Amino acid sequence: MAARGAAVIETEGLTKLFDEVHGIADVTMRVEAGEVFGFLGPNGAGKTTTIRTLLDQLHPTAGSARIFGLDSRRDSVAIRARVGNLPGDFGFGPAATGREVVELLARLRGVGGLGRAELLAERFRADLDRPLGQLSRGNRQKVGLITATFHEPELLILDEPTSGLDPLMQEEFLDLVEEERQRGCAVFVSSHELDEVERVCDRVGIVRDGRLIAIERVADLLSRARRRIEVELADPTALAAALAELPGVSDVSVAGQRVSLTVGGEVAPVLKLLASHRVLDIEATHPSLEQVFLTYYREQG
Amino acid sequence: MKRSQIAALAVAHLSDRRRSVLAWGLPLGLMSAFIVAIFPSVQGPIEKAVNDYPEGLKEAFGIGRLTDVEQYLNAEMLSLIVPLALGYLAVRAIASGLSGAAESGRLDVLLSAPVSRRALVAAGFLATAVELAAVLLLTLALTALGSVLAGAGLAISPALAGFANVWPLALVFAGLGVVVCGFSLRTTVVTGATAGVLVSMYVVDLIGRLDSGLSEVRYLSVFRYYGNAIEDGIEPLAFCGVVLFAVALTALGAWLFERRDISA
Repeated sequence: MAARGAAVIETEGLTKLFDEVHGIADVTMRVEAGEVFGFLGPNGAGKTTTIRTLLDQLHPTAGSARIFGLDSRRDSVAIRARVGNLPGDFGFGPAATGREVVELLARLRGVGGLGRAELLAERFRADLDRPLGQLSRGNRQKVGLITATFHEPELLILDEPTSGLDPLMQEEFLDLVEEERQRGCAVFVSSHELDEVERVCDRVGIVRDGRLIAIERVADLLSRARRRIEVELADPTALAAALAELPGVSDVSVAGQRVSLTVGGEVAPVLKLLASHRVLDIEATHPSLEQVFLTYYREQG
Repeated sequence: MKRSQIAALAVAHLSDRRRSVLAWGLPLGLMSAFIVAIFPSVQGPIEKAVNDYPEGLKEAFGIGRLTDVEQYLNAEMLSLIVPLALGYLAVRAIASGLSGAAESGRLDVLLSAPVSRRALVAAGFLATAVELAAVLLLTLALTALGSVLAGAGLAISPALAGFANVWPLALVFAGLGVVVCGFSLRTTVVTGATAGVLVSMYVVDLIGRLDSGLSEVRYLSVFRYYGNAIEDGIEPLAFCGVVLFAVALTALGAWLFERRDISA
């Protein structure tokens, strides 16, 4: 296992173009051991292309990717020995059972026993003995999660991992990711389920039209995000104009005694100004990552 | 490439295609058994009819004398149906392991493990070789059974040579399928293109045999080296040469496959 904080994934200008428009362009990022990194973007933004390029299933047009310090193309086999991967649409043909898939992967990986796979199957209530073709998407996904994690990898690459899972299993998955992080595993998770990303990720990269437009700590992203504040004042008229003059304040509106405003950045100047007035009530709405994400998309668009 | 990985992948591939051995071996075997079983009752009229065939036609389809059941089996099964069927089966088998696997998502899962693409190709080729041998053995076994039941007197050793001689020929089309997979991972493209080459090679060889002035074109076809093993025995040089050609095509295909993106 790589030392906590050591670089596990490093990309430099990673580019994969299928034609002039589609693919990924100039993706530069670093993911560390013991970190859960969320890769966010809508469908078609380039998340899966990035993952497939990291795993050498697609060959980059330009740039480079290093995983555990190894070249993602030249040392692909050695890298994959230390990686667990859940593809975006897990499948293995309709006839194979989950157990057959896990047993084959165990042989290919040189893993002796299936003890951990059995434990994971129990935990996710996965049926390993039915053909995959007879399983629902969610139940197939559980088998996929087992194949990605049963060998205790140093890096987990998960493409839309909770797709099709019921809420209970989504919780179980988030617990599993936390346990993997505690173990020192780096987790690279692509998702557009922003709630789960907010709960489990340390940092996120936001991808739009194949370009990585931001990498932020989730906490920083949320703290810097615009908050909606509603204040009930004894005399709101005079204050509204003063609030609108403050840096970072926008969308000030007055309805009766209530003043609503949006604050980007620090809230201290707003609180200082409010302190000199008679405040009857105050309510601040912390934005969800979803709102932050949408804001990013609108601003960058 | 780790041998244990290739073995594990080949076994998984064979397990996935276990039904195909029966699906192809049973009809071919039953048809072949029927052919040998009816020989005693049709021998006289057939000999007379064949004597009236044009010489070129007899040469084109490898019909010499039809005085024994082995020659009849060769003319009815081994000169056309079995080689074309096995060639097509080889294409289907290799496509299922590569392009079919890409389309079903199996390739993504396998390539998540520390497996080289060369190992995947080698395993697919190995499994296809075993599958072809199994189908040929089943066909031979049913043919022999038909002969015993009908008292046709089929000699096993020449029949074995005749069926075994199909194996390297079919392998060539497995190798060719790998080459096509190096350019496309769409199963319809792989099977369509390779089956097209299979039929084209057969036709080219036929034209070369029918027209002595065009006999040189037969060198463009692997059927040129197929011969008539049930009558003349296996020609070791041709047998090994065709196997080596199939392996070389597979190696070329593996090289191309390593350099392409995995996406159907």
